[in-house]
Amino acid sequence: MSAVVELENVWKVFGSRSAEAMKAIQAEGIGKAEVLERFDAVVGVKDASFQVAEGEIFCLMGLSGSGKSTLVRHVNRLIEPTAGTIRILGEDIGAMKSEALRALRADKIGMVFQNMALLPHRSVRDNIGFALELRGMDGYTRAKAADDALEIVSLHGYGDRLPSELSGGMQQRVGLARALAADPEILLMDEPFSALDPLIRRNLQDEFLSLSVNLKKTTLFITHDLDEAIRMGDRIGIMKDGEIVQIGTAEDIVTSPADDYVADFVAGISRLKLVSASKIMVSPEQHGPIPEGAPEARPKDDLDTLVSLSTGTEKPVVIKADGKAVGVVTKDTLLQGLQGGASA
Amino acid sequence: MSGAEQIETLERDVSVATFVERNEPYFRNVFERFQKGVLPRWNMNIWGLLVPWVWAAWRGVWLMFWISLAIDVLAIVCLMQVVKFSPLLAEAQLDPDANRTLIARYSSWISTYTVVGWVLLLGGRLWMGSQANRWYYGQYQKWRIDHSVAHGTAPKRVLIGLLIIAICAPLTIYRATQLRLDERACLNQVRMAETVEDLMLQFDLPDVGALGATLADRVTEAQATFDRLDALENPTDEQKTERSAARKALRDLGREAETVTEFQQISAKDRFDCALIDDFPTLARFQAPPEVRYRRVPDEEAIAAGDLNATKVLIQESPAIEGRRINIFTYNAEAIDTGINYLRAQYAGIFDAMTHVLRQSLIRVEVAFMQTPWPVIAFLFVALAWAYTGTATTIFVASSLAFLAVFELWQIAMQTMALVVVATAICVFVGLPVGIWMAKNKWFRWFTEPVLDVMQTIPSLSYLVPAVAFFGISQPPAVLATVIFAIPPMVKLTALGILQVPESTKEAALAFGASERQLLRKVELPMAIPSIMAGLNQTIMLALSMATISAFIGAAGLGALVTESLGDAQAGKGLLAGIAIALVAMMIDRILRGIRASFSRI
Repeated sequence: MSAVVELENVWKVFGSRSAEAMKAIQAEGIGKAEVLERFDAVVGVKDASFQVAEGEIFCLMGLSGSGKSTLVRHVNRLIEPTAGTIRILGEDIGAMKSEALRALRADKIGMVFQNMALLPHRSVRDNIGFALELRGMDGYTRAKAADDALEIVSLHGYGDRLPSELSGGMQQRVGLARALAADPEILLMDEPFSALDPLIRRNLQDEFLSLSVNLKKTTLFITHDLDEAIRMGDRIGIMKDGEIVQIGTAEDIVTSPADDYVADFVAGISRLKLVSASKIMVSPEQHGPIPEGAPEARPKDDLDTLVSLSTGTEKPVVIKADGKAVGVVTKDTLLQGLQGGASA
Repeated sequence: MSGAEQIETLERDVSVATFVERNEPYFRNVFERFQKGVLPRWNMNIWGLLVPWVWAAWRGVWLMFWISLAIDVLAIVCLMQVVKFSPLLAEAQLDPDANRTLIARYSSWISTYTVVGWVLLLGGRLWMGSQANRWYYGQYQKWRIDHSVAHGTAPKRVLIGLLIIAICAPLTIYRATQLRLDERACLNQVRMAETVEDLMLQFDLPDVGALGATLADRVTEAQATFDRLDALENPTDEQKTERSAARKALRDLGREAETVTEFQQISAKDRFDCALIDDFPTLARFQAPPEVRYRRVPDEEAIAAGDLNATKVLIQESPAIEGRRINIFTYNAEAIDTGINYLRAQYAGIFDAMTHVLRQSLIRVEVAFMQTPWPVIAFLFVALAWAYTGTATTIFVASSLAFLAVFELWQIAMQTMALVVVATAICVFVGLPVGIWMAKNKWFRWFTEPVLDVMQTIPSLSYLVPAVAFFGISQPPAVLATVIFAIPPMVKLTALGILQVPESTKEAALAFGASERQLLRKVELPMAIPSIMAGLNQTIMLALSMATISAFIGAAGLGALVTESLGDAQAGKGLLAGIAIALVAMMIDRILRGIRASFSRI
């Protein structure tokens, strides 16, 4: 798979003397506090590099003020990076002229915002067709495309309403439909579900997941909620103070956090569905003889499955791959694994 | 007592000590009693009673400083009235029979002011004495929250306080002892000084004393010459002429000598009074500059060369009136006049063209309003009201129209409408782009905002004058004056509407590939429409309210009726015309409001 979105050493320094500050950072390697003191500039994004592969959902997770929203706005150059390169579909967007950039935004990148940001004076249909209208598409084709997009987000028949007539959840569906209408390759989702109440949020998460199975959009998903990141993301990048501190799958991050900050973060996360048998099992040699009739499982099975298997029996679970025992999970290891001790 | 309470008490004690710095036991006792509510009203701070302002400044209780200073100064001013009126009373009593009323008046003034002054002084002191510690406690409370509040004692503050007293009190009290100054006396001082200065230059003498002596000699000399000529019996014609010249020279010299003597005799007190008391003194008077007039006249040379419409600007300069001196105000006012005069002559073509365009468009619109048969216009108004507003408003519009018709004000009201429509159209065509530019450009906004504020606050009558200077008296300058008066809300509310569009909405539009132009056309302007409509409404109302004032410079319509009735003091006519204007304004306002409501779906 090739990288659709690629960021390389992206820096963003805010302030009127950001260029000077950037030079000092590169030459002297000064820290945030010193940048603030010497140049009255704030480091928003610090040396961020990552790639998002085609069809992948990449979650950027961090608390408010960690720079995740700033970083995502670099992808369509709503914010200019102070240093670094951003490539979309292999093309350096920093070098693009404004005309080409607008075409890229309209054709290739759809964006969904936390506060929906719908145009209050336009009907739902005209909102969805906005990007198409900007490209000069005729009204008929536009309305058709908008209705198709409404269908996708299951809001069929709402095209003639005004945004203010819809509930928050429905408005965010409209926001999603607007992003999908131009059939872009890339979706940028800036905390799309954060402003919604928990039930509707879960609903929309599920719907978006099932949608993305079919649509296969390369997605950059921003959230401040680790649960959401784990649910949505194929991979997760954790941001702290403008810096990406760890990138990996949910399991990687939960089982081997890069530092105390990430460890603190994942401490409260349930490992049942995240950690697989292979992460906690001990080798058969270490365990010793395996009793007859012990339940069997595969290395990829999660802890939840292992718990189901080992209830009602005293025997350990044997992990088999290609018919061969590769490991053993006793009740002790299982309990430790649930607690998070086994990985330590 | 528990440990926590002890600590608290200790901390409080320490803070009182830090706050008061001196005399801590006294204040701790007073503060504690005040907190407990057992401090009696008659508890006096002895320093607050005797020298409240010094004590207050020393302790940094500035509120008390100012209040006590004000009370004392006021009391002394009252007592000084006695000093002022006693000599007058004494003078009047020289002839008690003739001045009975005066004597009664002066005596009653003197006794009233004496009583009021003493009551103020003693009562104020008592109040200060009892209030001092309370205010000081209030300051202590503030200081505990915010340590930058003045605390402790500081001689520096006493110095500042004394300085303030020195600036405010003596002059005020001195003024109270003086009768009102004669305004002309001060101007005469200035004039005399100028004359003396001129004479010193003329005789090339360095000081006034020498000048006085020289002039006295000259007067004696001239007197001798005149006496000699006057003594001649049967003078020849030549001698007669010489005699009258000598008489004139004698008179002039005599007057000059008198001025110099008078100038020398101006007392120091009079000079002081004119400089510091009463009005601000005249600082400088200038020699008036030569008067320059610009006139556009036919250019004879060019006409002779074949260009029949050629004109040129002629500059006429007339010397200033001998000895005319003017102050800064007049100097600048005349300079502005000259500037306007120059522009008017230099760019006559532009002004004439503007006048022409305005007049023509006004005529067209007037024709549209006045020559459309009245039933059609009435129907259109009622139909508009019916379509956009409720039944009640429709009835109101219909009855207002009936009022205009029945009182035979219809055509005049249509003239007013035409003026308002033309002025509003100009406001929209100019105001909308300016408003957009203002919203988009920070620097332009920084520059425009104060200009708009000035346009709104400058009295509307005062820019009628330049309008007349540039365009003369007729309808077009009236329209222009109306535009200047009515355009600010259009500009301001357009800018406001665009600035109010949420950043996030604009960001979303940009994220979907909008250009700046598209952003303006498809996002910002549509979302600003409610605000722009509000601006339009206000502009129309202002234009209508200007109708009366612009009538002074020739606007026709209901306003002219009002100004006419003002001239003839016909209250009834003015009132009816005023009501008609109000009705027209309310009709337009209500209908526009309905249209606005149907516009704003947001």
